[in-house]
Amino acid sequence: MTVSNQLTSDATSSRFGSTEQGRMVIDIRGLGKRFGAVAALQDVSFDVQRGEFIAIMGPSGSGKTTLLNILSLLDRPTEGDYHLDGIAVASLTEREQTVIRREKIGLVFQQFHLIPYLSALENVMLAQHYHSVADREEALEALEHVGLAQRRDHLPSQLSGGEQQRVCIARALINAPALILADEPTGNLDADNEGLVMGLLERLRDEGRTIVLVTHNPDLGERTDRIVRLQHGRLAS
Amino acid sequence: MADANPGRRRSDRSLRLRMFSMLVFRSLTVRGSRIGIALGAILVGAAVVSALTSLYFDISIKMSEELRAFGANVIVTPRSAGQTGGEGTHGIAAETLRAAIGALPQGKIVGASPFLYGVVRLDVANAVLAGVDFQGLRAISPYWQVEGSWVTADFDDRNVMVGRRIAQTMQMKIGSPVTIINRDRTHQVQVRVKGIVDTGGAEDDQVFVNLPLAQRLLDRPDQADLAMLSVIARGGEADALAADLARRFPDIEVRPIRKVSQADGKILDKIEGLMALVATVVLIITILCVNATLTAMVAARTPQIGLQKAIGAGNGSIVAQFMAETTVICVVAVALGLGVGFALAQVLGQAVFGAWVTFRPVVVPLTFGLSFAAALIAAVLPVRGAVRIVPARVLKGE
Ligand SMILES: Nc1ncnc2c1ncn2[C@@H]1O[C@H](COP(=O)(O)OP(=O)(O)OP(=O)(O)O)[C@@H](O)[C@H]1O
Ligand SMILES: [Mg+2]
Repeated sequence: MTVSNQLTSDATSSRFGSTEQGRMVIDIRGLGKRFGAVAALQDVSFDVQRGEFIAIMGPSGSGKTTLLNILSLLDRPTEGDYHLDGIAVASLTEREQTVIRREKIGLVFQQFHLIPYLSALENVMLAQHYHSVADREEALEALEHVGLAQRRDHLPSQLSGGEQQRVCIARALINAPALILADEPTGNLDADNEGLVMGLLERLRDEGRTIVLVTHNPDLGERTDRIVRLQHGRLAS
Repeated sequence: MADANPGRRRSDRSLRLRMFSMLVFRSLTVRGSRIGIALGAILVGAAVVSALTSLYFDISIKMSEELRAFGANVIVTPRSAGQTGGEGTHGIAAETLRAAIGALPQGKIVGASPFLYGVVRLDVANAVLAGVDFQGLRAISPYWQVEGSWVTADFDDRNVMVGRRIAQTMQMKIGSPVTIINRDRTHQVQVRVKGIVDTGGAEDDQVFVNLPLAQRLLDRPDQADLAMLSVIARGGEADALAADLARRFPDIEVRPIRKVSQADGKILDKIEGLMALVATVVLIITILCVNATLTAMVAARTPQIGLQKAIGAGNGSIVAQFMAETTVICVVAVALGLGVGFALAQVLGQAVFGAWVTFRPVVVPLTFGLSFAAALIAAVLPVRGAVRIVPARVLKGE
């Protein structure tokens, strides 16, 4: 069975945050990443259960983004194992990883990264398009979910930072991923919008989603189920 | 969000296509000025290519039409080796001539006629009698001026055509009866003048009858002295045809008659190379220009491409999007370029050949093909650059 077949049937059976699968969404063992002489990550091991909302915290340069890039299959570890939703993903080809990424992972970025010439709704539909097929009604529901249905036809440049981030979250949610990864999603937002976005993530957790949040803000960290701390590329206990 | 449905049908082609085209057109409309440069480059390339090919094809066709109009350009005579030739005795079997003419490629022959010459007596004076195939003669003699009409049926024994000077001296008119008597006075026929020929040449002193009648009158059954052919041939082609015929029929000698339009053919042959060179250079410039534009376009869109990949676009989707964008630009540019090119062809046609250029449909697929090829070549490196974008690198926070 090819990876994509396997994924298709998985995705069909799991509406969102499925519990039919194993309980472990993330399982990493002895993960390491070197950039030449720089050891950005060393011997990192932890797991994330389905439905868990965890925070990764640590000082600047401690390897949080590096770790998240590996978790999102945008980068490869130089050592160690990574099982995502039961699949050993580290050894997959780039093409297979792309398939896994669109089937299983929703990404939220600090810089939002919306396509500037597509409307809010179309940005959400783009993720549907690469996943399977764009569905306007469903994309609209996702926007409603983040409270932006009335801004559906606005371009990113016509939206505030907080609104852009909520569109980004709607886009991350739209394909019912097994895992949502957010790298400092409130880093560019003011306190009000930070509160809004965090509230949204908490609601998603309540709906059963699995979320990994990278943040510098201890208050936000406290609101998650568990904090994984990094220090110089290692887990700090 | 309860009804998020990731089991959406992947097979919905039309929906996928709609989203894809939306993406392509949106990304095209945001970068107007850049797209404008690429469009302009392809437009210029397409215009030059279509102008030159229009000119080339049209002038070629006109040239062969002119050759056609010019008349006989190949003459077939009996091989003269060792024969000094007593007058009226040495000929070729008309059969051999027919076979030689039949051996030429069908599409190349405009017309052909055998000629059998002899001296006869017309009522009171002597004249040169020419036995011909009237239909063939008409085809190879487009410039003859004929008063009255041509003899149309090849086995018409009752009607003849006479040269202008004979008609004048003997005061013949259309419809006048004429008696033709051979020199031995053994044969005599009564015919009518159907047409009076004015060529300004030797024909003005001749009487034209159909070949079988001439053979009877001159008592040379199944014979002819020579044949004239009009074939569509440019430059060296006529020589090649002649050589080929002479090889296959050892009894005859085949010579192309040099005509002025051969010089035109040579001009076309020469500028053919020049035009190809100009078209190539222009296409290369187009490629460089489009390449630079697409490279800049990929660079400007790097974060978006990275994002598209991060949210699940495969390399195929990225390639497809750029190819589709390039194709759209290309179609618009070539459509405009064809119009501009046709106008340019008129200018060139007037300047070089003093002729208006007629639209030739073959120019359209040719221009499209060459322009697309150029655009595709131009897109290879930029698209490869787009495929090689690493999302993790371009999506990093500043
Ligand atoms: N592509 C790369 N090449 C070389 N070194 C890198 C690369 N990416 C990250 N690093 C190094 O790896 C270490 C961890 O970087 P990373 O971006 O993961 O930190 P971070 O915890 O996300 O920091 P911040 O809180 O500032 O975002 C740093 O020392 C960084 O310089
Ligand atoms: Mg970081």
